[in-house]
Amino acid sequence: MLKMENVRKTYGTFSLECSLEILPGRITGLIGQNGAGKSTTFKLALGVTLPDSGTITVMGRNIRDFGTKEKQAWGVVLSDSGFSGYLTIRDIIPILENLYEKFDKSFFQEQIKKFGLPDNKKIKEFSSGMKAKLKVIAAVSHHAKLLILDEPTAGLDVVARDELLEILREFMEGDEERAILISSHISGDLETLCDDVYMIHEGKIILHEETDVLLSEYGLIKADEVQYGAMDKRYLIRSKKENFGYTCLTDQKQYYMENYPKLAIEKGCIDSVIMMMIRGEAV
Amino acid sequence: MKGLLIKDFMLMKNMKNSMLMIMVIAVGMAGYLKDLTFIMVYLAFLGTTYTSTTISYDEFDNGYSFMFSLPVTRKGYVLEKYAFGLILSGGGWLIGAILATIMGRIRNVGSVTDSVMAALIIMPIPIILLAIMLPFHLKYGGEKGRIVMICVVGGLMLAGVLGTKLAERLHINFDVIMENLSELNAGAVMAGAMGIGMVLLVISCNISIAIMKKKEY
Repeated sequence: MLKMENVRKTYGTFSLECSLEILPGRITGLIGQNGAGKSTTFKLALGVTLPDSGTITVMGRNIRDFGTKEKQAWGVVLSDSGFSGYLTIRDIIPILENLYEKFDKSFFQEQIKKFGLPDNKKIKEFSSGMKAKLKVIAAVSHHAKLLILDEPTAGLDVVARDELLEILREFMEGDEERAILISSHISGDLETLCDDVYMIHEGKIILHEETDVLLSEYGLIKADEVQYGAMDKRYLIRSKKENFGYTCLTDQKQYYMENYPKLAIEKGCIDSVIMMMIRGEAV
Repeated sequence: MKGLLIKDFMLMKNMKNSMLMIMVIAVGMAGYLKDLTFIMVYLAFLGTTYTSTTISYDEFDNGYSFMFSLPVTRKGYVLEKYAFGLILSGGGWLIGAILATIMGRIRNVGSVTDSVMAALIIMPIPIILLAIMLPFHLKYGGEKGRIVMICVVGGLMLAGVLGTKLAERLHINFDVIMENLSELNAGAVMAGAMGIGMVLLVISCNISIAIMKKKEY
């Protein structure tokens, strides 16, 4: 659905080097700190910024050749950009109707009602949560094949976030060929939603893993100096010096649980893995 | 393009108060001005100004990033802006022409033919203005674009003054040139002016497309 191959982009001192692939039927997460390169990756994927080198293909077509017809097939949410704040939802409906051949007006209106969004109030007067809901609803209302969502749940409370994630799940259930690329600061959202995640740091992809594998096979080992010294380090990805000894990241949690029963081993999660990938040292 | 035109007209709803005020001023001016052609120029010019205001709305809050993720190409966006500018300034010109003709009749100033002729002579002005203004606005954005436009207009006026001074020194008589021009067929002059306006607009549109294609958001 979306493929970025050896894409490079430089802005002053910041440099992005990225290769990633979003496959049909899958939800792929992109996670990283502020300024890690997530938004640049999204802008490159959308063609609003062009790469210095490398190729980006979306649904088999080079992003440089993307026209209005091709753009019908994706739905986009950007964290820092959206409909003009001077428009109302009532204004947006005829705009979307005329931009998208397959705009589903009744679905759109149904969702607007469901989420309690006012249709005659200017968007600039919306809360950040209301704006986020509107962006996602608009992105899923024209039978897109691919959703590209940069921080779609930003500013939402837990209930609203869950409702939005439910919309995304329903979107995926509608057609098995659909796919989503999503970024979020809230790793819990990605853990429950994504099939695989890419971690980005300082403009580079530092890890790509299946979410199930990350949650079931990755682990954090807490070891004192003696335990660390005696440990088999072949399956350690990162280690970090602590007051008590070392924290280590492994993708073979089971191996250490079976062979070192006295070690304290915690289940891996996106937050702990990204923390170790950034702060830890390669073993 | 239709979706974008609807967006711009929807955005114009935000300017309805200022538009209403402008219409009141225009009617007021038509009531006492000797030269009613000013009303046509005034309303047509405001049409181009509103077009540039919609560009400011579009760029606000990184709006272009989202806009170009919609089924909108950069070329399509530029073409829509020119079409919108022509509709607005054409609409302003038409309202101005009708207003000037009606007020001319009421006040018994000039004939209907005079008003129609004046309207036709003025018609290329908003087109030329759009052709000059839009590339600057798209290149530098709404706010900076306005400043650059003021500098360009100021520069052109200065060039005009300097040109006149130079012509005086070179003993070129403008009165003779103007007399010769007035002897030409009025229709031919108007058609020529419109032709020049349209050519400028096409050149300007291509420049704007090139500007937008180079931009990154």
